[in-house]
Amino acid sequence: MITVTINGKEIKLEKPVTVLEAARSAGIKIPTLCYHEQLEKYGGCRLCLVEVEKMPRLQTACTLMAADGMVVRTETEAIADVRRGVLEFLLINHPLDCPYCDKAGECELQDLVEKYGPTTGRFKEKKRKAPESLEDPVLVRNMERCVVCTRCVRMCEGVQGAAAIGVINRGGHSHVEPFSGGRFECEYCGNCVSACPVGAIMSRLHRHSYRPWQLVSETETICPYCGVGCTLVAQVRDDVIKRVVPRIGTPVNNGLLCSRGRFGYEFVGSKERLTTPLIKKNGVLEQSTWEEAIGFVARRLGELKTRYGGDAIAGIASPRCTNEDNYVFQKFMRVALGTNNIDSTARTGYAGAQAFIENIFGQGATANLIPGLANADAVLIAGGDPTAVNPILGLQIRSCARKGGNILTIGHVKGVRHYNPAELKPNVHTEAALLEGVVTALKEKKGLPGSIQTLESKIKEIHRPLDDAARTCGVTEKDLAAFVEALSTASTPALVIGKEVIQSAGGSYNLLLLSAVAYLVNARIHLLSERANEQGVVDMGCAPDLLPGCRPLSYVEFRRRYEAAWKSPIPEKQGMTIFDMIDAAKAGSLRALYVMGENPVFNLPNAKGVEAALRGLELLVVQDIFMTETARMADVVFPALSWAEREGTFTNMERRLQLLRKAVNREGMEDWRIVVEVAGNMGVRMHFSSAEDIFAEITRVSPLHRDLSYEELEKSGIYPYKGEPLRGVTGDIAVAKPAAGDGGGLFLGIERPLFHSGTLSRRAPGLVKIYETAVARISPATAAARSLKEGDMVRVSSVIGYLELPVAVDFAVRDALVMITNNFEGRGALSLMELVLDPVLRAPVADKTAVTIEKAGR
Amino acid sequence: MEKVLLKNIENPHSADIDEYKKAGGYRSLSKALDMASKDIIEEVKKAGLRGRGGAGFPVAMKWTFASGDPKFPKYLLCNADEGEPGTFKDRPILEKNPHLLIEGMVISGYALGAEYGYIYLRGEYPAAKDILNKAISQAYENGYLGDGILGKKTRFHLAVHQGAGAYICGEETALIESLEGDKGQPRIKPPFPVNVGVFSKPTVVNNVETLANLPYLIGIGGEAYARIGSPECPGPKIYCVSGHVERPGVYELPMGTSLKDIIYTHCGGIKGGKKLKAVIPGGISTPVLPPEKIDCPMDFVNMPKHGSMLGSGAVIVMDETVCLVKVCYRALKFFEHESCGKCTPCREGTGWLRSILGRIESGEGMEGDVDLLLSVAGNIIGKTFCPLGDGAASVTQNFIKHFRPEFEAHIKNKGCGARQEKL
Repeated sequence: MITVTINGKEIKLEKPVTVLEAARSAGIKIPTLCYHEQLEKYGGCRLCLVEVEKMPRLQTACTLMAADGMVVRTETEAIADVRRGVLEFLLINHPLDCPYCDKAGECELQDLVEKYGPTTGRFKEKKRKAPESLEDPVLVRNMERCVVCTRCVRMCEGVQGAAAIGVINRGGHSHVEPFSGGRFECEYCGNCVSACPVGAIMSRLHRHSYRPWQLVSETETICPYCGVGCTLVAQVRDDVIKRVVPRIGTPVNNGLLCSRGRFGYEFVGSKERLTTPLIKKNGVLEQSTWEEAIGFVARRLGELKTRYGGDAIAGIASPRCTNEDNYVFQKFMRVALGTNNIDSTARTGYAGAQAFIENIFGQGATANLIPGLANADAVLIAGGDPTAVNPILGLQIRSCARKGGNILTIGHVKGVRHYNPAELKPNVHTEAALLEGVVTALKEKKGLPGSIQTLESKIKEIHRPLDDAARTCGVTEKDLAAFVEALSTASTPALVIGKEVIQSAGGSYNLLLLSAVAYLVNARIHLLSERANEQGVVDMGCAPDLLPGCRPLSYVEFRRRYEAAWKSPIPEKQGMTIFDMIDAAKAGSLRALYVMGENPVFNLPNAKGVEAALRGLELLVVQDIFMTETARMADVVFPALSWAEREGTFTNMERRLQLLRKAVNREGMEDWRIVVEVAGNMGVRMHFSSAEDIFAEITRVSPLHRDLSYEELEKSGIYPYKGEPLRGVTGDIAVAKPAAGDGGGLFLGIERPLFHSGTLSRRAPGLVKIYETAVARISPATAAARSLKEGDMVRVSSVIGYLELPVAVDFAVRDALVMITNNFEGRGALSLMELVLDPVLRAPVADKTAVTIEKAGR
Repeated sequence: MEKVLLKNIENPHSADIDEYKKAGGYRSLSKALDMASKDIIEEVKKAGLRGRGGAGFPVAMKWTFASGDPKFPKYLLCNADEGEPGTFKDRPILEKNPHLLIEGMVISGYALGAEYGYIYLRGEYPAAKDILNKAISQAYENGYLGDGILGKKTRFHLAVHQGAGAYICGEETALIESLEGDKGQPRIKPPFPVNVGVFSKPTVVNNVETLANLPYLIGIGGEAYARIGSPECPGPKIYCVSGHVERPGVYELPMGTSLKDIIYTHCGGIKGGKKLKAVIPGGISTPVLPPEKIDCPMDFVNMPKHGSMLGSGAVIVMDETVCLVKVCYRALKFFEHESCGKCTPCREGTGWLRSILGRIESGEGMEGDVDLLLSVAGNIIGKTFCPLGDGAASVTQNFIKHFRPEFEAHIKNKGCGARQEKL
């Protein structure tokens, strides 16, 4: 126990902390500028100087560790003079442009000067000048205002790990600049913006559009972009989100955001938002009324159900919608339409992979805490760049590396390249051979633990010596052996699995091998999730074989319980997956499709095929916030409320349940309310008047969510999942081994950029300015072999079709791949992709589409 | 007094290992390697050796801290970033007597348990770099560096790292940052380098002159060494004298030689028989002394009692023709240029002081400027991260303290009567 006396007050400390932290813990305020609780100590601004007895000089409270018996004074007249002096130094070259500066009102320097500041200017010279830099599309730098506290630099380097900015020059010429020059060309996390105490680095998105004190409300809610589930604060004026900021102390992201979270909110206020229901009349979507549209849909669904039966109707739920939306939607499908034909795009990877892994290890095997990654001593990354797909999770991996953890990657993971990862870059389609080698070697090194017999019997069948594996994959045996050694000696390893490895030929076999690796080295598994509620949509039973709470439909006793709760029969027959639905539509056996918050024409492989299939439907209903590719084809389009305009819950990839709060008001209906209205018109009453009502029913019906409440969620996110078995284990592990490789040639790959996610981000101008258009990303070798250079227009063709795109040469791309994003309208990678499904996961195989690339216009 | 540090430098081949050995070089090393390392530290303690870089910290104490730290490896850094204006005392050692430094470093490394050493060399000493590198390779060839030194188990590896010209890198933690490849800015202390230094390992940073004392000290033993010069801080000391004296240059004299003796006896008095106006006794950061205060023993203990500091022992002598406002202005221009920018008072204050001094010097001074200088300097001193800012403020304060009327006259007369000779 350490006892210090600060301003006469005795403070007892459990653990060693700085004088500043000790003072703050006792409610004593010491002014600071360069101090930031998330950053390394700096001691540069000199505002926190305090008197310490028996020490000759004044000491900076932010760097001095409190020692037992220390007597500190923080508020003497002498110290106030010192602070005035320091503030005067900060102001002599500071442009006193507060009336014009966006930071005014929340500027730490302004606040301090108000408290201590000198009132007369003694500085007669000309101030240092530096023009405001507007070279960057989303960030604005004003270096006249910089106080060189270096918080941005320390944030960028020490927390974000991007090291994109630095203090250039020295002394009075010190200023912050991106190393790339004018544009930041960085990860655009904007965490430098949150770190800046003054108006030196700010977001351009809301430039000069409000003063901080004009913000009417601040709403803490959950980011709509990826499965990490960061808490963000939406600051609102006139029912427009002006700014999104993080908050220190929130779960998962604790004061940090990524580019999508921070700069991707503008789609909410987009002028392209749908405003009224639309009904297709004579082939044209025309404005309609809610009453007419709802009545029309209810009537048509009723007719089709009567004529063809419920199984001729299907529903696609959304990993972007809340648990409440998805719960109501699947209940509507099962109760009102009498079918289990309900699925979502979680099917394209996440859901199948999770079910596969849970079948081996038991439920919740992938629900590991994200911050725990930072404490791992080795992280194996397979199948994607976590710093792009789930950026805040990626930061934990970087933090792990910074603490000395080993980073091992299969493939080149751009986001961790600064951390000296052990990299294995297997040839395309040889990941399985590589993993076989790893499993064989680990099996010999570590032995079989003897706990999961089904998996061990599979592991025993795997045999590929390291030299053979290395030869097959085109890696050196030495690298491979070192890789295995690093894995086998780790004591707290983690395994991060991305979609590329799931969506590859033999995805289930890859997952088996990765599971085997995890089993042999006892690694925690993290499954990257691209959508905010990908876990929730599955947990809510938006799957043809699952009921809410992830309970299998096939268990009669479970089904009976739900039937009792819903006071309605639930069909026994397992429904169609999302791909079955497309097939059935094509075959004509599916007559109607109800799509809630999803865009299958863009987000499923073989866009044209999907489009053609949907054209044969008798009824296509789409609920969305924008006129999407799918909505354009619809017979009825309902405008829904967006993420920011409603309440509800998301379940993140850790299976943490978090509360969305309404940030802005807008006329219209939530997705669930539209469904409830349609159901009501069909004579099926669902008595929900708020998201909370729905949640209450979920907690009654779903064993996974039993006894939870909104009040608990208000406090912080909660974990519904406590380790109980849900689905049951099938006993055997079915896998489909990949066929032999296809030899040479180029294959299509899906680029998952940091700056986009799905199709929402294309309506967020901030993100579009950072990453403007789709490109054909190829390796330098691919480019050289075809005499292509950066910016050349090329035609990328597959058997399905072609896209004309500019070339981007990128050393991170493997030689046999052409990477294209699936975010930009009319230029999505999936539009070129053949639909081939992994027979076990029922997820599409994304790396088997052969493409050619040639200069456009030939 | 026999020359210790500047021994043999008249020999044009003094930097060659054979000449050095002929003059008795590397004998102390073999003596030292026969001793227990803690006994070497004991001898250094008995000798009362203090660091020659400017602060005068007891060497044995620093070594004890580092050798007592359980972390390995340990590092020995030689601070050869001789950047203090007026200072050129290490240069003759580096250029003329490099083996003396190398021998001293191997002995020190052995005493500390450090197996790796770096010489952080001032960027503006390109000649010394080549000389040192040649000397180091000779030492490797002759078995004085490397593994198994003199057939014993002792290892010591040494390399030269050249700075890029920043004064702040003479501050030991900034030196370490720079050596690690980062921007040269001082680190928070504690932890001190003796515990967490270069590459986060225990590190001793000693000045060139300090380390060069080791062979002699070990050769004659601590007690005999302690009898040289001032009893409180004994040993030989190099004083480098510049400015208006008849014989400016480098003088190796017993520690504690009076400043007056240095100027008038050793350097032959003021050039051209002019009147002495001011002396900066230990490099630009040390307080200036007026003529009536120069009868003081030049050592770490006594100089503070006489209102200044020994610093690096760089004596800058100025005669009656010198404009002290200009000197002060020029000094502040240096500090402004060299401020690293880490802390507010130094980053902003040095430039402000310079600009006020600049306007006084150029005849545009305003009434109240002298008080403004004192006020601004007062806001810097004692509030900065490292001593650089303190130096800048104290230079200003001390020039005004001793020569205020000259500053006032400058403002009143809109310029200088004394400006005749270029400094």
